[in-house]
Amino acid sequence: MRSLPKITARSATLGAIIALALPCAPAMADGVMRRMFFPARAAEYSGPSDSVSFFIFWTTAFFFVLLMGLMAIFVVKYRRRPGQAAPRSPSHNTPLELAWSGIPLILLGMMFFFGARLYIEMRTPPIDSTVINVTAQKWGWTWEYPGGEQSLESVTLANVSSPVFAVPVGKPVRLVMNSTDVIHSLYIPAFRDKVDVIPNRYTTYWFRAEKIGEYHLYCAEYCGDQHSQMMALIKVMSDADYQEWLAEQADTSAIPLVELGRKLSISAGCLACHSLDGRPGTGPSWKNIWGNTHVMTDGESVKVDENYIRESILEPNARIVAGYPAQMPTYQGRFSDRELRAFIAYIASLSDDGAEDAERMMEEDDAEQEASEADSPQASVPTTDF
Amino acid sequence: MSAAHDHHDHHPSYLAPKETLGKTIMSWVYTIDHKKIGVMYLCAVLFAFFLGGVLALGVRTHLWSPAETIVQIDPSTGEEREVQKERFFRDVTITRTVMRENEAGEKVRAQEERTFTSNNIYNRVFTLHGAVMVFLFIIPSVPAALGNFFLPLMIGAKDVAFPRLNLLSWYVYVFGSLMTLGALLGGGVETGWTFYTPYSTSTEFGQTTLVALAVFVLGFSSIFTGLNFIVTVHKMRAPGMGWFDMPLFVWAIYATSIIQVLATPVLGITVLLLAIERMFNIGIFDPAKGGDPILFQHFFWFYSHPAVYIMILPGFGIISEMITTHARKPIFGYRFVAFSSIAIAAISFLVWAHHMFTAMGELAAIIFSGLTMLVAIPTAIKVFAWVATLYKGSIALNTPMLYVLSFLFLFTIGGLTGPPLAVLSTDLHLHDTYFVVAHFHYVMMGGTVIAFIGGLHHWWPKMFGRMYNETFAKLGCLLVFVGFNLTFFTQFFLGSNGMPRRYATYVEEFQTLHQLSTIGSYILAIGLFVHLGVFVMSLLNGKKAVENPWGSLTMEWDTESPPIEHNFLHEPVATHGPYDYDQPIVPPRTKPGEWPLPDMPEGDDGANTKRGMF
Repeated sequence: MRSLPKITARSATLGAIIALALPCAPAMADGVMRRMFFPARAAEYSGPSDSVSFFIFWTTAFFFVLLMGLMAIFVVKYRRRPGQAAPRSPSHNTPLELAWSGIPLILLGMMFFFGARLYIEMRTPPIDSTVINVTAQKWGWTWEYPGGEQSLESVTLANVSSPVFAVPVGKPVRLVMNSTDVIHSLYIPAFRDKVDVIPNRYTTYWFRAEKIGEYHLYCAEYCGDQHSQMMALIKVMSDADYQEWLAEQADTSAIPLVELGRKLSISAGCLACHSLDGRPGTGPSWKNIWGNTHVMTDGESVKVDENYIRESILEPNARIVAGYPAQMPTYQGRFSDRELRAFIAYIASLSDDGAEDAERMMEEDDAEQEASEADSPQASVPTTDF
Repeated sequence: MSAAHDHHDHHPSYLAPKETLGKTIMSWVYTIDHKKIGVMYLCAVLFAFFLGGVLALGVRTHLWSPAETIVQIDPSTGEEREVQKERFFRDVTITRTVMRENEAGEKVRAQEERTFTSNNIYNRVFTLHGAVMVFLFIIPSVPAALGNFFLPLMIGAKDVAFPRLNLLSWYVYVFGSLMTLGALLGGGVETGWTFYTPYSTSTEFGQTTLVALAVFVLGFSSIFTGLNFIVTVHKMRAPGMGWFDMPLFVWAIYATSIIQVLATPVLGITVLLLAIERMFNIGIFDPAKGGDPILFQHFFWFYSHPAVYIMILPGFGIISEMITTHARKPIFGYRFVAFSSIAIAAISFLVWAHHMFTAMGELAAIIFSGLTMLVAIPTAIKVFAWVATLYKGSIALNTPMLYVLSFLFLFTIGGLTGPPLAVLSTDLHLHDTYFVVAHFHYVMMGGTVIAFIGGLHHWWPKMFGRMYNETFAKLGCLLVFVGFNLTFFTQFFLGSNGMPRRYATYVEEFQTLHQLSTIGSYILAIGLFVHLGVFVMSLLNGKKAVENPWGSLTMEWDTESPPIEHNFLHEPVATHGPYDYDQPIVPPRTKPGEWPLPDMPEGDDGANTKRGMF
């Protein structure tokens, strides 16, 4: 009884705080919480996914406050007082115990139901989806658009050059994914979905982007050294912009050979392992290697020239430079002949002694391009039909 | 009285040194005393905890800032150049000797340089943090250290059923730990503690095979302990102690042991298959060799999900003991709490695939999501029961009780952040992000480790016969609580905002939260060192502990502190339940001359007085 006034004063203060906070709560809840908890909502199912999350959040928050509130009250009210034994109290109450087993069961059932229903929708791509073939490998993503286009645009994310992938707003897109080496996982937080990319089967990720903007794509399954930099930027754009972007990526004939090599080395993920500043990474740096001699793991010495670079791209494990792991996947069938020459010219251009050779290759290429344009003027028109 | 006193003098404590130092050492090396083995386990797991903790601080320190390219002016030429900013883990270049063929076809020695990138070092550190904490620390922590010491004492037994097997399990554990340490010194592994294939079968310059075999060996230690405890609980309870007179810690250890015996062989087989694949190039999991990588995940989680309950159930048991003793109340709903341990053990075998929702077919995912929801029920029952136990108690706010309250707060958060991961649509977003990291640290550390540290404070006087400094212990508890929340609560926001886990670097928007988390981890570390200091000071010059400093009613307090070698002076008899705090008079249990009880038929040796199922 003596402690009664104290508790009243305390609870009055508490009551005042709650009374002040309550009217603001609903307004704050939506705006602040969505910003605090989740990134931008950019796809059809981002909103519904957040709604399920908030149902779970408020339900669990209620139980947390209830349990912690009771605990705090009990600890204060029934703290040990010298000379006073605890009064006898029930230590068992079947209806109460059944209630706290049954009520959570019902609530958990609701959570499961909402989640599973949305999950089924999120795993059922519409039949008219645009199909993009996605290849994951250590450490990069390649998207092959329906017309065979691949992205040549890049941006720096998490300190490495990463590819940019455009997708149209409002249209369903289905990514058919495969890995050439280990398990990866394609994760776009703004779309609230991720699907593992597995080496021995195809998996599907589909979305309908709803908000024009730029969003991060991450690898979410641990895959080694550059796992944290296996990123890409998703650009959601209007359909017109998207078509234009695709056309830009399709026509590479006007891009000078060295520049094409630079773009490809980013979009194919080469720079994740091969640095341009001389630092050894998972693979040897490309700086100043043209014309030099590499010592291989079997002791053989090999001069870095056209043939060696070509072999290293198509059959990377044929010869491994001493001191490096045999990590590189093959790029057989991924590049046209001109693209392979673009890599060679680009690598040559990165060496002090290779500038002349790069120059020569570009001149040869220009001549060839002119010749082929004269032969078939239609050859470089991109396919936009899908 | 004097006779009893004389009797007493002939029974030295289990810690009493022998005539010579050599004999004392031998008395530990060859001991089959469950108490000594428990203390040896305690030292070993605390060392593993220290090692795993140092690795964790390394991880957090590295994540203070993301990878950056900065412009520097070259001092020699004055030119500007772009360089990588140095972070906590640097690129390391080692020179090693390899055998190479020269032009004549002869094998000769050659020097070879090999660079490990800072990302690679980071990956090795977080992998070892996980492997050490899971396999060397948390799994054996409560069952093997506190369980070994207190399970026989709590049921009034002289020892465990198979004392030699018990000692063997410790040596097997040490052997497995040394293999892990050897792998650490030999360069470490970079596969993540989950060893997912085909990544784990393709990594080079690692000790993956050695660690996989270490996990295989450690599994045996776990099985031996589990087997021992099951038989001990079935066969060696004191006269008068039926199944429902057992302390809940014993129930929890019993449920844990069942999981250990049933699930650990699957892990053993899995890591053995992994080692075979690596050593002999046989395709089991690697698709390049005709295997299936998802099969590995099924095998792995079939053990490792029940293992989560191997880790947490003993913690539940400790909390039940501490909350009843320090609130002087019977546990609320004893049978519900006891059966919920068994229910958790049973359901834990049916939920493994919820670790793989993003890699599985839709039907299987829906079934496993539904089953996963069920495991929340017995867990919820326990938390409700603990809070209800506090009602109308007499709550002493000492260090063990503060740890109980800390546990209830942290574990409730850990438990309630489970549903978003079990529900399918939300897991698609949260899977493999920091949300998962935060969730399982709240369960594993906020649950098990907090219960373990609390349990150490609760039982310390009994184990070592010394009291500790309450003020500093409470300070440590506060630092651990604050540091823990700062470290891991921030990670819920990192995860729900889309920060994937196992990242050596990150995009800039996450830096503030990462830095808060790192600061929290240092506070947490300081708190743990305060506890270490408290324990060391207690051993050096702590006040001598009485037999039963907390007035607890469980049986382990009915002997001296520290206990005598054979545990009890007289065979104890369960004359009252473990939580009869509401009974007016509690009859003594182990005083001589009271057995058989006056109302027992003549010739009854007590063997038939066990109540219950078995």
